[in-house]
Amino acid sequence: MNPSEEIAKKAKELLQSKAVSCFIGYQRATDGVTARPLFVYTPEEADKLVFDQTCTHNLVKYLLSRKGKATGIVVKPCDSRAINLLLIEHQIERDEVFIIGVVCPGIVEARWNKTSDKLKDICKLCQQHSPVIYDSLVGEPVPELQAEAYPDVARIEALSMAERKAFWEEHFSRCLRCYACRQVCPGCYCSECFAERLDPLWVGIRIAPSENEMWNTMRAFHLSGRCIGCNQCEQVCPVNIPLSLLNRKLEKEALELFKFQAGIDAKTPAPFATFKKDEKIGIGE
Amino acid sequence: MLENPLLPYLATLQDVVDLTPDVKLLKIELSDPDIRKSFEYKLGQFVFISAFGTGEAPFGLTSVYYRHGPLEVAVRRIGTVTRSLHELEPGETIGVRGPFGNHFLLDKYRGKNIFIIGGGIGFAPLRPLITTILDHRNDYADLLILNGARTPQDLVFAPEFDTWAASPRTKLELTVDAGDQTWTGRVALIPTVVKELNLSPDNAIAIICGPPIMIHFTLIELKKLGFADSQIVTTLESKMKCGLGKCARCNIGEKYICRDGPVFSLEQISKLLEKF
Amino acid sequence: MSQFISKKDLLSWLSKLAENRSLVAPARVADSILFRKIDSTEEIVFNFYNTNFSPKEFFFPPSEALFSVEKKDGQIKLVPTVTRGEMVIFGIRPCDAKGIATLDLPYLEEPGDALYIQHRKRTGLIGLSCLTACPECFCTSMGTGPDDASNFDIMLTEVEDGYIVQTVTERGKTLLPEEFLTMKDVALPPAPLISLVPSKGITDKMRQAFDNPYWSRLADRCLHCNICSYVCPTCYCFDIRDCTNKGRIDRVRSWESCQSPGFTKIAGGYDPRADKGSRLRQRLAHKLIYFPEIYGPLHCTGCGRCVKTCPVNIDIREIIQDIQKLERESNA
Repeated sequence: MNPSEEIAKKAKELLQSKAVSCFIGYQRATDGVTARPLFVYTPEEADKLVFDQTCTHNLVKYLLSRKGKATGIVVKPCDSRAINLLLIEHQIERDEVFIIGVVCPGIVEARWNKTSDKLKDICKLCQQHSPVIYDSLVGEPVPELQAEAYPDVARIEALSMAERKAFWEEHFSRCLRCYACRQVCPGCYCSECFAERLDPLWVGIRIAPSENEMWNTMRAFHLSGRCIGCNQCEQVCPVNIPLSLLNRKLEKEALELFKFQAGIDAKTPAPFATFKKDEKIGIGE
Repeated sequence: MLENPLLPYLATLQDVVDLTPDVKLLKIELSDPDIRKSFEYKLGQFVFISAFGTGEAPFGLTSVYYRHGPLEVAVRRIGTVTRSLHELEPGETIGVRGPFGNHFLLDKYRGKNIFIIGGGIGFAPLRPLITTILDHRNDYADLLILNGARTPQDLVFAPEFDTWAASPRTKLELTVDAGDQTWTGRVALIPTVVKELNLSPDNAIAIICGPPIMIHFTLIELKKLGFADSQIVTTLESKMKCGLGKCARCNIGEKYICRDGPVFSLEQISKLLEKF
Repeated sequence: MSQFISKKDLLSWLSKLAENRSLVAPARVADSILFRKIDSTEEIVFNFYNTNFSPKEFFFPPSEALFSVEKKDGQIKLVPTVTRGEMVIFGIRPCDAKGIATLDLPYLEEPGDALYIQHRKRTGLIGLSCLTACPECFCTSMGTGPDDASNFDIMLTEVEDGYIVQTVTERGKTLLPEEFLTMKDVALPPAPLISLVPSKGITDKMRQAFDNPYWSRLADRCLHCNICSYVCPTCYCFDIRDCTNKGRIDRVRSWESCQSPGFTKIAGGYDPRADKGSRLRQRLAHKLIYFPEIYGPLHCTGCGRCVKTCPVNIDIREIIQDIQKLERESNA
């Protein structure tokens, strides 16, 4: 059985036994080559489910709108880390989710109507090919790979401050504050985002370089120690801002300072959400 | 019409009257004498008031044009713009855009019994109706005013209650959701009072305004009493930005509240695709 | 015989235009093709399906100060924004020109939007007809077509060595001097075939489908990311708020989308359209019912951008097909 068939079979079982009232997976999009999320409510519809290397979406975001309802879900390894994140942050209940984890061969570069064999850059760097939490596994588990490396971040770090400033100013100048990055991110679930606040006014509605910088950098900071690296923010950005770089820079720092990676387990809380009286990280000493 | 309809007229805040702990009555004088002379408005229309630096918000005009006094709006402190407006002192400059919207067809109600039912700050667009009816008392039959609020302190336009109650063929009923130590009046939700008063739909018009949930349940009671859809009128509100039907925000189904409303009969509302 | 301009002369003409006005054309920006003000004709991209964003941003910018509030000697003065200088936009596809014509309907309606009128008055539109269809476009089902010259000042159609020129308006005649044109024995090529979408009678069908649970199911995967409204050549919702910028108060208008959560939330927290399904339905209802009932045309020009960029493939072509089928099912 290929992954699509395995997932469809499992989803059918879950729906038939009423273990879940909805199963969230992927189906073929209208271009015939890429994928889109699918919400399945009846066992018959489960036949539409597919899984392949165009399944880029992180479906975990949808769990936040199904609180209190039993849901089945397909997750890739990065997505599974998002489930741990939401569990630690008490946003979802473990017994409300049936997780089908997929061993991931990497997602290919694909846009509307066009796929390729080329792996996405972020997937080429990925070291986590097996899901970290699941009830059912599709695919053979892959041995742990070496620790995460950040050559993309290092490339920016090698630039001078002036070059870095120019790099980011150029990218942020295109930002339209559509907030698609926030909407797609499973870590962004505040009922009132700081960007919507009027008092104090952090960002406002003007679309201009200073506001754009404020938005993007503050969002990255709010995700520091929490971002699980699914890359969906960059994937959906309609003006191609390399948003992952920002988040991965902070990911790198969290790893170096706290030996911490978000979402690897459902127990270790994030560094910036934890206060330990005897904590020393060498700042100010 | 103004060359730039998004550009406010400058106006001065003439006076501020505290109506309740969170509602103030603002009396506003337009600065430009020509604009002041030509600013004509009808019952039920609204304006956008600007607190420069914060923004604008829509408010129903609670004064009557024919008295040629300052523009009056009742402002409840609930968001950023209303908070800024509450912090203003008489003499400060604000902005006014309008008047917008349709109006109450008071002429059609001549000779009829009129029931005016309002809850909380929703009473603000109803007050000019009362003023007009009382100033032209013989044009209308019986008048019943039902004014409700959460607590006795939240009843708006209390200074006018005596004048209203003393008018001929006029009855004033007050009600609160919860009384206090000195309150001896009615303690009941507005829909319950409507039921108790057993209002007769004969030759009558009911005009209601208030929080969505109050309107919803009051409509149910009025329908039970036999009121036809065309005998019930309400004024709706929504989030608004331009007031001109150009920002595509305030629609309920196919109607824009800023242009086709805010005054709607139940007959019109029941034909709409969207149900709020 | 048709009016003709050689590729070489076209570039000379555009350079000449750029001497005393802003020239906007499709240009490569990061991985996208976007309309940008260009300094040299070398920046112009000629070989493209369509830009990632429509040219509506030059008439209805993403963010624009309506006026600023000046405080002097204790007096407040409102200074409305005034746009200066002429502009020409080159390389617009017919679907986008139809988009601008569609935006004219609410914005030019009395009382006209002052800033939009300023932008419209000072801007010339030079079109590039489509020789091939994009995989996602469906303009002929939305009241226009790949060779529709009606909403331009000048329309160009590529032929061998240059372009056939159709001068549509007086402004077009003024913009393109005779010296650049010749008469050539060449005819307009046949227009490419565009995929069809069953838009006929969609307003009534959409009305009938209004309360169908279809919308709730469709909205399950919607992220409310606003991208569809932002890439759309006809969407025109905006937000207005005062912004303080280094002590100066501006009243700013910016793009917004009926899809964003909180679009209809009033102070105090009540939101009549809090439900995802009704928010998504609002977008389609506005496009297929409310706008045509007030102004005439459907609120879509078939450019296909929303289809291309929606991260979860909410496809208006599929939706229109589904709505047509829904009605038939309920009648069966």
